[in-house]
Amino acid sequence: MEILGPVFVAGITTGALYALATIGLSLVWGALGMLNMAHGALLTIGGYAAFTLATLLGAPWPVAVLAPVVVGALIGAAIYLLVAQPLLARAPKSFETNVIIATFGVAIALENAVLLIFGGQPFGQSIALPGHLQAGGTFIPWQNVLIVAVVMVLMAGTAFFLARTRAGRAIRATAQHREAAQLLGVPVGRVYLQVLALSGGIAGTCGLLVSSITQLSPTLGADPMLKAFIMCVVAGLGNLPGAIGAAFVLALIEAFASYALGARWGFPLLLAIVILVLIWRPDGLFGRAAVRRL
Amino acid sequence: MAEAALAIEGLVTGYDRRDVLTGISLDLPDGALVTVVGPNGHGKTTLLRAISGLLPTRRGSIRLFGKKLAGLAPHQVAAAGIVHVPQGDLLFPQMSVHENLLMGAYLENNQAVIRRRLEEVEALLPKLAERRDQLASSLSGGERRMVGIGRGLMMGGQVMLIDEPSLGLAPIIIEQVYEVIARLKASGRTILLVEENPARVADLADAIHLLDNGRIVWSGPPHDLLERDELLETYLGG
Repeated sequence: MEILGPVFVAGITTGALYALATIGLSLVWGALGMLNMAHGALLTIGGYAAFTLATLLGAPWPVAVLAPVVVGALIGAAIYLLVAQPLLARAPKSFETNVIIATFGVAIALENAVLLIFGGQPFGQSIALPGHLQAGGTFIPWQNVLIVAVVMVLMAGTAFFLARTRAGRAIRATAQHREAAQLLGVPVGRVYLQVLALSGGIAGTCGLLVSSITQLSPTLGADPMLKAFIMCVVAGLGNLPGAIGAAFVLALIEAFASYALGARWGFPLLLAIVILVLIWRPDGLFGRAAVRRL
Repeated sequence: MAEAALAIEGLVTGYDRRDVLTGISLDLPDGALVTVVGPNGHGKTTLLRAISGLLPTRRGSIRLFGKKLAGLAPHQVAAAGIVHVPQGDLLFPQMSVHENLLMGAYLENNQAVIRRRLEEVEALLPKLAERRDQLASSLSGGERRMVGIGRGLMMGGQVMLIDEPSLGLAPIIIEQVYEVIARLKASGRTILLVEENPARVADLADAIHLLDNGRIVWSGPPHDLLERDELLETYLGG
């Protein structure tokens, strides 16, 4: 039975990472109705940005830790200005479909840029806490504790920002009724830019955290992106609290299924659950026929 | 006549390639309440959408105290001082009444001014204070209309555009809404009101414009229109 402790720790840690990945994805979907297929690539670049500064350039760790946030936010903003905004302006009716294809192209380009610059061989992320603590016979690596703590802080910060600040309220208002927000003086273009930058910054941080317990590779963000998408669909697209809850529950199920049935059964079981949920509730567990906005 | 707060000249606008308004001219004097009436689908809402920048001005001009509005984005028109209370309220459904009101003051940074406006709005519309923490999606039609008007008042602009405030409401609620509009007028607000039924605004409006098929076909005092049976019959179905 003592193996269940580490399985639980692994489940909670990956749940936290999935939750963080879903925040960015769900924010952008909720605000713009945009499924950002380049979200996974932003995770990857976040991991490499920290690696470049900490390992290759020898920068102090606070600088290396901030790098993924800045780089992610800048690329997120660039995706809005160069891809989403022109699509939204020229063909608003087909935006939701067009932007999936366009950001899929961005994802491929970014992934290949990483491959060209760093090569395909995996690297270890140097920014990670060593050691572990022991709780009731279970060894919990400090890095896992740090990951869960950072994710909690980021989730609380994002929730506070959206609920309590003027900029956050403007994001929610734009998500719920774009035209009404415009009539009240909200510059929706700037709001969208902020959302993509915020989402990119969170994705970059997520990439750093993922790489700290796995390895850096050009496809680092693909798995969290896929899982984040699954969590969003299970919860109901655009439903942020639901997606976060789904992330933890599904990650724990995946971890325990991998332990009990073998590693190769974790993901198929996850997909089976998603299929059953969608048959039972086609709009997701907490979704509505119309997308629930932020 | 006082200075025109809002002056529209030869306005042409529409959707896609079709012109809906084909040359509208009207003045809204400072402190006046002017009403545009007309049958459904003949351009009343389109006129307000063009003033607030939601539709492009294809020809003509729109000026607010002499400042050109045509060509500005909707958020810039709002910043210039136009308050648009749209048809159907367009509230933020997942926000509380309080948050909806705060969104009205989005352009205001001074917290003291925001607090003062909130107090004024809640004094004018006491129901909103009772429903403060309730989600907008859970309100009744009349309450939603009041939040829409309250949110507009929170903007503190110079000219209010109110689009069919009676739409979809029970007669008793319509009376309450018009009582609020009458108090707004009495407080000196400048209002351009769109309405389908001229009898509702007869005692309230300083002037009335009859809009049909994208152009103004008659203008004058409201009671004059009510006495013109042939106009009412032709354009408003009696």
